Amino acid sequence: MSNVYVSDFVYALGSRKTHVTESEAAGRLLSSAEDLESAGFAWHHLCEPGESAYGLAEAVTAQLAESGRLTGIDAIVYATCLPLNGNIGDPGEFARTRDVKHLMDFPASRLQADFGLTDAVVLGLNQQACTAMPGSVRLAGALLAAEPSWRKVLCVTADRFPDGAIYEQAYNLISDGGAACLVGREPEGFRLVSAHQITNGALGQATDDETVGSYFSFTHRLFRESLDRAGLTVADVDWVVTQNTNDKAWQILARLLGVPLDRVWFPSMPDAGHIISADNIVNLAQLIASGQLRPGQRVVLMMAGFGLNWQSLILEAV
Amino acid sequence: MGILITGADGYLGRRAVSALLETTGDEFVLAVRAADAAELAAKRDRLDAELGAAGHGRVTVVGADLTRDDALADVDPRRVTAIVHAAAVTRFSVDRETAQRVNVDGTVRLARFARRCPDLRRFTLLSTLYTAGRHTGDVPERRHEDAGFVNFYEWSKWRAEQHLFDSGLPLSVLRLPTVIAEDDGGTVVQYNAFHNTLKLFYYGLLSLMPGEPSTPLALGTAAFTSAAVAHLVRPEVPAGIYHVTPDPAQTLTLGQLIDLTFDVYERDDNFRRRNLMRPIYCDRQSFDDMVDIARRLKGGPIEQAVASVAPFGTQLYLHKTFRNEALRAAWPGYAAPDPLALADAVCDHLVASRWGRQPVTRQLEGAL
Ligand SMILES: NC(=O)c1ccc[n+]([C@@H]2O[C@H](COP(=O)([O-])OP(=O)(O)OC[C@H]3O[C@@H](n4cnc5c(N)ncnc54)[C@H](OP(=O)(O)O)[C@@H]3O)[C@@H](O)[C@H]2O)c1
Repeated sequence: MSNVYVSDFVYALGSRKTHVTESEAAGRLLSSAEDLESAGFAWHHLCEPGESAYGLAEAVTAQLAESGRLTGIDAIVYATCLPLNGNIGDPGEFARTRDVKHLMDFPASRLQADFGLTDAVVLGLNQQACTAMPGSVRLAGALLAAEPSWRKVLCVTADRFPDGAIYEQAYNLISDGGAACLVGREPEGFRLVSAHQITNGALGQATDDETVGSYFSFTHRLFRESLDRAGLTVADVDWVVTQNTNDKAWQILARLLGVPLDRVWFPSMPDAGHIISADNIVNLAQLIASGQLRPGQRVVLMMAGFGLNWQSLILEAV
Repeated sequence: MGILITGADGYLGRRAVSALLETTGDEFVLAVRAADAAELAAKRDRLDAELGAAGHGRVTVVGADLTRDDALADVDPRRVTAIVHAAAVTRFSVDRETAQRVNVDGTVRLARFARRCPDLRRFTLLSTLYTAGRHTGDVPERRHEDAGFVNFYEWSKWRAEQHLFDSGLPLSVLRLPTVIAEDDGGTVVQYNAFHNTLKLFYYGLLSLMPGEPSTPLALGTAAFTSAAVAHLVRPEVPAGIYHVTPDPAQTLTLGQLIDLTFDVYERDDNFRRRNLMRPIYCDRQSFDDMVDIARRLKGGPIEQAVASVAPFGTQLYLHKTFRNEALRAAWPGYAAPDPLALADAVCDHLVASRWGRQPVTRQLEGAL
């Protein structure tokens, strides 16, 4: 029984909302808009040229500050999918000066300073791709277990694709976005029941088709192993909060795993597509907002990402 | 007097011709589809080269596109004593119109020609075990009722059978299994849905398996099927319906095949390094959904490969036990390949040759 709790789920999306057909016309996609729409995608959110990944991290942290929740933070786990979003320095400056400090301007340190979180230490997590958010919650839980005097960890994730990038990965329509939550000892939000991760480094450079190809078997395994580790069965699961991917994929997995499809939750998909590592938080926040969640219900969060990594969290509503 | 063989330059047609050249003293008229004189000449040269000395003076190659009414105008019916009909469109993904035009109407045309052959002793149709369509359970060597079909290939082969059953011709129907290799050595020359499915697993492009592990799979080799053809066309063998397939007890199940396949794959360093998982058996709806997803992955290898597997996937849910008592009675010395050893050898060959894209090294060839 862990006594770690996860709460305060907030998120921010790139400020330009655009339809998949517009992105097709702008050359931002590999698949046709029609194929992506048939997979359940419709809209996505892009950062404007001046908007940065750090700006998204700032926006989500500001939401926590405004609600008065950003107090007593002992650590910040700052996760990015793309390693380049883990530096806010200007690589051009490095090229000009040959000084590597321009490659080590860390957004986690900036966030600490900007929000006056002077008692917080910072940790960066940038090799777990889209699974970095569950990874950071897991890490936060482990930190609290290792540091008896710590009370609260801020988990932040923020990514934007570089200008000119294709906004499609492994046949998923991408949104720039950030998300945050708090991991602490006070019983609020959800109790962290367990966390699980599988990494298959040999598929680190998997093609899109290999990523899709291995998706079912590894996601299936992740789910089963997650339940086994927590001593639960599928009957103990009330909700599965997934990443935003081809909507047929979870129709298949729900059948294979014996989870009723109406308990598989990814409502943000048509509006936002795959929000890099923020999908779980966005969907979980929307589950809470829907009013359907009851105390004691168990939620399994599932993510797959490059590396290849698969991560899950099991949470129990307080 | 001679034997007319349609589809004589096809995969099994060529092998049947070679086998018959060895086992009979007959002359042969080899009918091949050819759009024009140049294609006919090219096909003739290829067949001459392949048949070598055995064919000299005994084979005549003629152009005969069975979709045309004048298809067999160049063949003298008085000289034909037996017909082996091997021509067909054999893709599981064939559309209905093409299947009708070639496999059904082509057979009707050939039957019309056959009726004009005064000395015809035997008309042998190379058919498929899957003319049973959606039938399940024991499948006897009998005429099948229409139980529905999972693709237009099997539907059209069934329609061709039906037409011939009603034709009054001295008919034998040889229902063949899925041919997966040249012979027991496991070398693959003709790639079909069987090999394409295994390829998807090797390359980590599919992790769902349509079908049920207990579904029996009737698999054969070209050597076995052409030996069967050579034996069963003999005039002394009674005409009839024959399931050219191993005994039911000697038939692999889908689960055994997949386990064995991964055992072979896991002997390969390249495969092992990628830590791929064995596939998950899925229900029909899930496989259909997967096919639907794959259709949208345009340009990628999944789309192409799944397209070849999809039209057959449904059969992997339909348990059939193909009876072969008639075959055993008509061919007492018959020896079907050992299914486990064959599947092992085939998987080995597929991995070593990377599905035909690289030569199998000598050392491996020895091992096969
Ligand atoms: N191989 C198997 O696993 C298997 C299993 C069960 C049953 N069978 C049956 O066995 C027979 C032979 O199969 P296979 O594997 O040898 O097939 P194949 O290699 O595809 O050969 C089919 C032959 O039919 C010819 N053909 C196609 N359309 C024609 C037309 N309109 N007119 C005349 N000829 C035409 C093809 O010529 P082009 O190549 O020039 O088109 C080719 O020579 C088929 O009837 C098939 O249904 C095969």
